[in-house]
Amino acid sequence: MGLLSIIRKIKRKEKEMRILMVGLDNSGKTTIVLKINGEDTSVISPTLGFNIKTITYQKYTLNIWDVGGQRTIRSYWRNYFEQTDGLVWVVDSSDLRRLDDCKMELDNLLKEERLSGASLLILANKQDIKGALTPAEIAKVLNLEAMDKTRHWKIVGCSAYTGEGLLEGFDWLVQDVASRIYMLD
Amino acid sequence: MEEGPEPNLPTKTLGLNADLQKKHQAMLDRLSNRHQARLDNSLARRSDSGNSSESTSSFLSRFSDSKQSIDSQLADSRLIAQSDPSRLKSHFANLSSSISDLEILVAENSYFLPSYEVRSSLKTISDLKQNLETLNSELIPKKKFSFKNKATTKKEPIKEPEPLKYDTVSLSNFKMPDSPGFRNKTNETLVKKFKGTDIGEFTLSDLDSCEVRLTGCCNAVFMNRLKNCKVYLGPVIGSILIEEVEGCVFVLASHQIRIHLAKKCDFYLRVRSRPIIEDSNVVRFAPYCLDYEGIEMDLQKAGLSEETGNWANVDDFKWLRAVQSPNWCVLPENERVGKVRVEDFESRIEGS
Repeated sequence: MGLLSIIRKIKRKEKEMRILMVGLDNSGKTTIVLKINGEDTSVISPTLGFNIKTITYQKYTLNIWDVGGQRTIRSYWRNYFEQTDGLVWVVDSSDLRRLDDCKMELDNLLKEERLSGASLLILANKQDIKGALTPAEIAKVLNLEAMDKTRHWKIVGCSAYTGEGLLEGFDWLVQDVASRIYMLD
Repeated sequence: MEEGPEPNLPTKTLGLNADLQKKHQAMLDRLSNRHQARLDNSLARRSDSGNSSESTSSFLSRFSDSKQSIDSQLADSRLIAQSDPSRLKSHFANLSSSISDLEILVAENSYFLPSYEVRSSLKTISDLKQNLETLNSELIPKKKFSFKNKATTKKEPIKEPEPLKYDTVSLSNFKMPDSPGFRNKTNETLVKKFKGTDIGEFTLSDLDSCEVRLTGCCNAVFMNRLKNCKVYLGPVIGSILIEEVEGCVFVLASHQIRIHLAKKCDFYLRVRSRPIIEDSNVVRFAPYCLDYEGIEMDLQKAGLSEETGNWANVDDFKWLRAVQSPNWCVLPENERVGKVRVEDFESRIEGS
C-alpha cells in the first residue's frame, strides 16, 4: 500500500500513462499510432519488434508501446505487460477469416494477471473498407459482454486511414485511466 | 562528577555551620583535583604535539599496515568464494569491521594530522569500502526484490471455467456475412475488374490450378489456401495478406504485403514498405511486371507509381539475423516472366 501510493504520487506528478497496443498482424497498430501523432502513414513496414512513441495528449504524456503482431513474435507480448495502464486491442474489421484467431488471442491476453487492472480499448479498425464488420458485430464475435465485470472496456469503430474514431477511442481511454490513477483531477 | 568517592553526606547531628564548612572543604578538594588532572592532561598533550611529526609518521605507518591487511583480505575473498562460499558472509563482516576500525583510527588522530593526510586517508577508506561493496554484490548474489502474488494460484480455478464458457458461444452463433471473392475453384480463369470506389476487400481462397486476374484498385486482399495458381493483381491501396500457398506465381502491388506459410512461390512485387515472410520457404522475389490498360492511373491512385526497390527488402520473421535468410532469394533475371499483359476481358466484351 505504501509503495503503491508512492508510485501513484510519482505518476501523478509526471502525469504519465503507459499504453500497450496489441492485436493480430495487419490490424493497423502502427498506422494508428502514427496517425494520432500526425505522422506520415503512407510507408509503414510490418513491425519487426516494437516501437515506442511518447505523445502529449491533453495534459497527459502517453508512452505508447506498439508491439508487432506477427505470429512468431506474439509470444514476446508478455514482456511488455508490466505497468500497463491502458490496453488497446486493434482488430482488422475486414479480416473475417481470422476473427476467431483474434478472439483467441484476446482471450489469452485478458487472462493475464499483470493486465488485470488495465483499461481496455478495442479499436474496430478499417471501417473505411467496404464489407468491414461494424463495432457492434465485432463486439458480438469477440463476445465482449461476457468479459469480467471488473474490467473497464469500450469498443470504438475507427479508420487509421482516414483518422475517424481514433480520438474518440483515445479520449475515452485516457479519461478512464486518469480517473483511476489520478483520481479525477 | 565521575571522580573520587563523595565525602560522606553530613548527618543531621552535626551543627549547620560544621556542615557547611565540610561541604566547602569537599568542593575545594574536588576543584583542586580537577585542576591537577587538567594540568597533567594538557602537559601530556603538549609533549605529544611537540613531536607531532613523529606521531604523524607513526599514524601513517599504522594506517598503511591495516590498509595492507584489509587489501590482502579483500583479495582473498575471491578464493574464499570459490573454496567455501558459506564463509564469505562472516569474512565480509570482519572486513567491514576492520575498515571501520581504520576509520576510527583516523578520526582519533585527526586533531593533529595535517589536513592533507586526513583527506587522503579518508579517501583511502572510502575506496576500501567501495571495493568491499563491489565484491560483496559480485560474490554474494542479492535476492531480487519482487512482488509475489500469492493469490494467483488461488484464483486460477475460479477463472478457468470462464474462457471455456465463452469459447463455446464463440463464433457458432454468429453468421458471417459473405465478403466478395473467389472461393473453391479448380482449373478456372477468374477475372474481375474493380471500378470506382465500390470495392473494399476481396478474398481468394481454396483455389487449385486457377488463373486470377484482378484489375483496378481495391482496398485489401486476403488470399489463403491457393495451390498452383497464377495471381495477377492491380494495385491494392491497403494491404495484402497471404496464407498457405504453394507452387504459385503472384504479381502484386500494395502498401503492405505479408506472406505466411508459403512454399515454392514466385512473387513479383511493388511495395511501399518492406514485404515480410513468416514460416515460408523456397520463395523468390522479383519486381512487379503487370500491364493492362489504365494501370498507370491505378498505380498512381494507390501511390505506387514509382518503383521503391522494396521487393528485394524482404523481412523473414523466422530468420532474425544479419545474414541472408535461407528461406527466400531474389529470382534470377533469366528466370523472370517478363512483362505480363492482362487483357481486360470485361471491357473488351462490352466494347465489341
